[in-house]
Formats: sequence, C-alpha cells, structure tokens
Amino acid sequence: MAQHEMSAPGGAHRTLTRERSQRLPVSPARLLTWLPLPVGAALWAWSLPRIVFRDMDDFGLLDRFPIAFYASLAVLTVGFIASLRRAGTAPWWPLTYSLGMLFALKAPTALLYDTVRYAWASKHDAVIARLLTEGTVHPHHALNGGMSAYDQWPGFFSLNAALIRAFGVHGAAVYTNWAPVIYGALMLPILVVIYRTFTDDWRLVWTAVWIFQLANWVGQDYLSPQGFAYVLFLAVFAVVLRHFVRPGTAGRLRDRDALDPAAAPVPPATTWRQRALGVVLLAPLIAAINSAHQLTPVMLCVTLFAFCLTRRYRNIGLFVVAVVIMGVWDLTMGRPLFVDTMKTLSGQLGDLLSNAKPGIGGAPTGEGAELVGMVNIIMVVALGVLAVAAVLLRRRLARSALPLLLAAIAPAPLLAVNNYGGEMVFRVYLFGLPGAAFFAAAALVPSAAYAGTARRIAQRAMVVALPAGALVLLAGFLPSYYGKESMQYAPPQEVAFVKRAYDRAPTGALVMAATGSFPDAYYHYNHYDHWFFTEQDAAANRKLLKDPGDYLAGGIPDGCPAFIILTPTQRDAVQGEGYLPTGGYDRLVAELKQSPHFKIVENTRHGLLLEHLPLPTKPEPLPPDVEP
Amino acid sequence: MNRTRTQLRAVLACSGWIALAVTLLPGGALLRWIPVLLFVTFGPGLALLHPQPGVPRPGARLELFALAAPLSWSLATLAATALFLVRGFSATVFLISLAAFCTVAALLPGLPLPAALRGAGDEPDEPVDAVGAGAAGAGSGTGGEP
Repeated sequence: MAQHEMSAPGGAHRTLTRERSQRLPVSPARLLTWLPLPVGAALWAWSLPRIVFRDMDDFGLLDRFPIAFYASLAVLTVGFIASLRRAGTAPWWPLTYSLGMLFALKAPTALLYDTVRYAWASKHDAVIARLLTEGTVHPHHALNGGMSAYDQWPGFFSLNAALIRAFGVHGAAVYTNWAPVIYGALMLPILVVIYRTFTDDWRLVWTAVWIFQLANWVGQDYLSPQGFAYVLFLAVFAVVLRHFVRPGTAGRLRDRDALDPAAAPVPPATTWRQRALGVVLLAPLIAAINSAHQLTPVMLCVTLFAFCLTRRYRNIGLFVVAVVIMGVWDLTMGRPLFVDTMKTLSGQLGDLLSNAKPGIGGAPTGEGAELVGMVNIIMVVALGVLAVAAVLLRRRLARSALPLLLAAIAPAPLLAVNNYGGEMVFRVYLFGLPGAAFFAAAALVPSAAYAGTARRIAQRAMVVALPAGALVLLAGFLPSYYGKESMQYAPPQEVAFVKRAYDRAPTGALVMAATGSFPDAYYHYNHYDHWFFTEQDAAANRKLLKDPGDYLAGGIPDGCPAFIILTPTQRDAVQGEGYLPTGGYDRLVAELKQSPHFKIVENTRHGLLLEHLPLPTKPEPLPPDVEP
Repeated sequence: MNRTRTQLRAVLACSGWIALAVTLLPGGALLRWIPVLLFVTFGPGLALLHPQPGVPRPGARLELFALAAPLSWSLATLAATALFLVRGFSATVFLISLAAFCTVAALLPGLPLPAALRGAGDEPDEPVDAVGAGAAGAGSGTGGEP
C-alpha cells in the first residue's frame, strides 16, 4: 500500500488511496474476518464461570452450558468461514479460529473441573503411580482385571512417569485434563501437512481440519495411550504421504489438465536411498506406537497396507518394517495378551454385527444417553454422506487423493475380526476420520477454479452448504462429547470417599463396584482384586437384580475380605452404558443396604461402602429361649 | 541466515541441559515444568530435523514444526521405557540421555526429509514428473481466493 501511494502521480489519488486504506480494516469482509474472534472470546470467557457443572443431570453439560457458550461457538464458526476467503494469503486467520475452537470446545473442563475428568484417565494415573512406585514393569505377571496389559505396553506410562518426576509433581492429575487441548494442538499442523499434500486450495485444507475437529467426538483424546499413539500415527501417515512417493508412478497426476482444479500435484518422488532414510526416521515413531498401545500398530499396518495398493505409495519395505516391529513387541513384551487375544479371536472372527456393536452393555437408558446414541449415528451418517458425495462428484480429486480414500476405508475390515471390548466401531471411525474429513470438506468447498456459471453455482452452494454443514457438525459434536458428562465428572468428596474406602480394605481384599467407571477405581490396583459386577451380559444382570446380596455374596471366595463401593458416578455410568435397566441401579443399592450379607460402613451422598459379613451357608438353629 | 542457524543449533544443543538444570528448582514451579515440557516435546525432534543443508522447500517449515513434537515424544518414550525396563530410571538419567542426544544431533547436519529440499523429485525416467515437481516445489497453490 505504501508503495502504491508513493507511485501515485497526483495528490488527489494519494488522498483517495489513503481513505480507502483507512476504510479497509472495517470493510464488511475484513470485519467479519477478525471481529468474531474477540466477540467469541468475550462470550466464551463470560460464560465459563456460569457453567454449572457440579450438579449435572441426564444431559451432562448440554443443559449446563449457558446460551452465551453456544453463541460463542457459533460466532467462532462464522469467523472461521469468513476467514476462508483469504485462506491462501492469510492462513493465520483460519489457524487462529481452528485453535480457538479447539480451546473453546476442550478447555472448559480443564479450567473448571477440580478433579480428574473421566474415570479411565484416573485409571491411567494409577498405572503411572504404580510404575513410579515399583520402578519397573512386570509384563508377564498376571494382574486382576486385565491390568497386566498396561505393563505389557508401558511406553505412554513411562513417558508420563518421566515427566512427573522431571516436573517435580505428585502425579499426572495436575495436567491430565489438558490432554485433549494438547493432543488437538499437536495434531493440527500434522493434519495441515496431510491435507496440503492433496490440495492446493487452502480453504479445503482448513475446512478439512475444522471438520476433523468437530467429527472427532469419540472421546479418545483424554490422557490415554491411544490418544498419544494417535498423534504419532498421524505423523507417520504424514511422512509417508509426503516423502514415500515412488519414482515414475505419478503419471498424469502431475498434469494440471487431468487434475481437479483444487488438487495438488503428487509430491516429488524419492529415491530408494531417500525412502530407506525415511524408514530410519519413522522407526522410532513406529516403535513408540508399539510400546504404547495394542491396537494403533494394527491400524497403522492396515493403513500402510492400503497405501501399498496404490502404485505411488507401494512401499513394501516400510510395511514389512512396521509389521516386524509390531510382531517383535507382541511376541515379547505383549505375549500374554497377544496369545489370549489370538485364542478368543476365532469366536469373534466374522461376527460383524456383534463386533460392530458399541459398548458391552445393553441399550443406554435415560433421555440423555438415548440422545447421545442417536446423535452419534447422525454424525457418522452425515460425515459418510458428505464424503461419499465428494467421492462421486469430484472423481478427479478422489483419484489424486486415492491414498486418503483408501486410508479412510482401510480400518473397516477390522470390524470383522474383533470387538475390542465394544470399542472397535469407535476406533474404526477414528482411524478412518482423517480421510473422511477431507472428502466431507471437499463436498462443502467446491473448487475456486471453475469459470463462469459453474463458478457462480459453486460459490452459492458454498455460501449455504459450508455454514450449514459446520453448524450441523458443531451441533452434533456437543451431545456426542459432553452429553454423558455426568459420568465423567466426580466431585472431590467422591474421590476422597473412594480413596478412604480403599484404604479401609486390607491388601488382598476383593473390592466390588457396579462398574469400573468411577474416579480412582484402580487406586493401588495391584493391592486388591476387583469385581465390577454389572459389566456382564443382560441375562446375568437380570439374575443379579433378583437378589443382589445373594448373587454378590455367592461370588466372593471363601475367607476373602470383601467390600462394595457404590458412588453417584457409577449410577450415571451404569445408566449411560446401559448395563442395568431404568431404576435398576437404585433398586440394587436399596437391596444391598438391606442384605444380611453386608453391613454399611459409610453412607453419604458421595458414596456407600459396604463390608461383606461372612455368614454360614446353613444358619444354625437358635436355642428356643433366644429371641431371633 | 547462517548466523541464525548457528544460534538455533546452539540453543537446541543447550536446551536439554537447561531443562536438566531447572529440575533443581522446587517441584511444580512454572520455571521448572515449562522448560522441561518444551524440551521433551520439541527438543530432540527439532535437533534431528532442523539444521537442514540447502534451501528448504516451501511448506518444509510447517512440516518441521508438525513432526518435531511426535518425533520428540517418540524418542522420549523409548528412552523412558528402556530405563524402566532395566530398572535404571531417574528423571536425571532420563533428561541427560535426551540432552546428550539433542546436543549431538544439533551439531550434526539435520536428517534430510527426502522431499523437504528444493531439487528433490528429479525423475529422469519421466519428464512430466520433473515439470510437476517444479510446480509442486513452487508450492504456488493458488490459495483459496474465491
């Protein structure tokens, strides 16, 4: 602008230019780019202390978020869409909005909660605490409740243990709730690298990143090995796509005339030697994934196999290296669980319907849980429809981005292999998401390079479709991610109650609970045996509800001290996961309180602790002069 | 450019030792955990990837930033796991091993990501690719101006 002014011949022109430049920052388009950011931030900051999270009900945080919170998300969405107009020249705006949305969505619980969010995160904290206490792992020692798996894949816990010691803090609890924000922020540039490989259109890149964030509602981004391994998985994914193109395979995919106007030409090819060096670079990433998690290496191998189906990325050597590293880990450190899984595999192999069923309980009960279940399905269908539409309508883009398409489909066959504790359907979705998000974005962001009528139609379609799509996905994300939040938050009093209860139980005792989804359920887990008694099939739970006292007493080994811990979080989890029918949990608690097999040790609104009273199986007859 | 690069190498070479030094501060102090977290998350990866010879291809900087954290975490994970497996873990040994790795890596030429440098992708067997590689190298993506 300054140059322009200096070169202008006349003073009038100079004045006009100055006026125009002064006007520019407040032109509607510019205003719409930057103004939503402070407005959204102000609304969000105002709403934050007004989120009444302590007494969540059936709908989790959904009816606890103030209107201003929802408004802030909508405003950020408007700002993001407006910022796409200049995505190619001012990428920091969509970047800022993407980071802003990540923070707005995931940071509230980190800022507000005074305990660890999500029972499984506290379980991982317990694993780290044990690792620090013992100073090593025992991969081949059997531990109750499948806990030995954590010793067999200790990479993530080792890293956290190291960080805890280096930070000089007592445990992971101080940073656990920030994991979704940190994982999200680290994934963002990796996703940009991946999408940038297949498109030159920065609007498409950022829209895909945006959709990925909103469609990533499966909740695996807490402090967990799978959340950690997923970041590494995406990094391997990105390096392969950028640096493992084989020479002489691009063909017409570098010919602009043969490509979708938005598509990027295939990245430069690399020599055998360069790719070998790439394998050396990837080896620590692949090894770390294998040290941290069981399923992610399998997903990595199927994805690499899918890449091998294209001529461009047929890197058999890399695939073999990934399989060998996985095999070595599974057959050494992970052998016990690997062998067990192989034994049970034949029962689940091919049972697609059963393996694809989410969870291990029955249908979730309660309006909130039912809403979440329905929204989950709508989200998957919406994403699928958009992605399929793009594949059908933009075939040239689908051809050049074929590796992404294959990667989106590749995890699906695993549904025929194993149910992964009722989680497989969610994991298949998660690992297919990078590709699915790209094609869904391609359906919402038509190419900018069309001409004439096609360009006008494309622009008009985008004006309607993109905001509508982004808002629908946002509306779907919130129930899916925060709809069951009442089972993810426990007040400090409940956490203290659980620790107190465990401390009362002697080492070697059997600790029972309705489910393992409650805070600190695995506190000092190697000291106790556990029985989470509703985590079984519906028929067994019907039997349990007939006479809970008898049922549970019958399962306690002779002479073993036994306790039952029941907390409000368990009630929400049992309902949310559908382990018991409506009202089942309250009936169970009432009957256990009356049961002659158990005595009440502590009973507050934050928890009920029962101790088993060993009763003789056949009561001895009382003397006639004694009142019963 | 060279001076900046040398300074950055020096910072990366020292970063681990600074992280180690701050562990002398009281546990949980901001000045302790922030440098440690930054070092463990970015140090080893940046030291391995950053000091690139030659002119970087557009987008290489983004890629460097994107990959530095996963690579650093991987190396830190492998170091911590190995130390626990041999019952030799302590925060000091953990940080020393990463700091030493970082120092050595920062002094060596960076690990060249194959397609990160201009001039990569010459494919004598397929002339059209060379043209295409040029186009890709320009990174000219018309951007998304509608």
